[in-house]
Amino acid sequence: MAKQACRHSWSMADVRYGFMVTEKCFHCKDERSYFAEEHIPPKEEYREGEHFWDYLGSSQSVRFNLKCDKCGEKVCLDELLGLMTCSGCTADCNFNMIARICEEQKTWVYGALLYRREDARKPETAEKLAVLSRYFSDRIKTPGKKILVLPGWLVKDFDVCRCTVLEDVGMFQTEPEPSQS
Amino acid sequence: MTLAELSQKLGLKPLTELHDTEVQGAYVSDMVSDVMAGAKPGSLWITTQTHKNVVAAANLVDIAAVVVTSGRAVADEAIEMANRADLTILSTDLDTYVLVGKLHEAGV
Repeated sequence: MAKQACRHSWSMADVRYGFMVTEKCFHCKDERSYFAEEHIPPKEEYREGEHFWDYLGSSQSVRFNLKCDKCGEKVCLDELLGLMTCSGCTADCNFNMIARICEEQKTWVYGALLYRREDARKPETAEKLAVLSRYFSDRIKTPGKKILVLPGWLVKDFDVCRCTVLEDVGMFQTEPEPSQS
Repeated sequence: MTLAELSQKLGLKPLTELHDTEVQGAYVSDMVSDVMAGAKPGSLWITTQTHKNVVAAANLVDIAAVVVTSGRAVADEAIEMANRADLTILSTDLDTYVLVGKLHEAGV
């Protein structure tokens, strides 16, 4: 007899607090971000192959997985850097257009920002975002309201995008702000 | 207790349209990441933070209302975003500690 497919009920699991650290290679000018679970964000420069990574900034962040309360299946979301919302800054941006259409249906669109660019267009990433959308939507008590998490690469141009990133910038300063005088 | 009853009882000032709903609890944090991970839908979110991030996170978690303490001013763009999302923002001159005490007394 075929095993009946589980109608998953997702909960947040393995919640870890840390920092989203952004760094830049002063050799090739590439930028990247990673999640650090240290109590203080690492700021040391270091060499990795041909790259010389230099600390650019950090924000407090949280990393989590989703686990089904019924069958125990787990969805690992380690590639998820964070979520953003559209501010509607660019009329012909795909993300903006989708967000505006969905907003009419009381569906709120969030963009998933990923640590590694190579993960962005993988089919399994889309499956994970579908699970994440369902997790947030299933918790909602407001009738008719839904959450849809789409890949951030739908944004036309991040260099001009004025999206709101859900992050805690400057919430845990380890050094005093430079004097403004 | 409903949001409207609680607002009246504690003198909370609506900065947006008040969308009345049953208040399920309260969560105190000034961190967006904390709220995403820990706050429950239908709760009040008590914070001193006033930027747009707060609205985006509150909407994601389906918070009943954001209560901004210590009389902090909320930016117009955050209020506009909250109104679009049918999210209530309330303001009080009370600090977080005092407000939480009053919420507890009120049965939240």
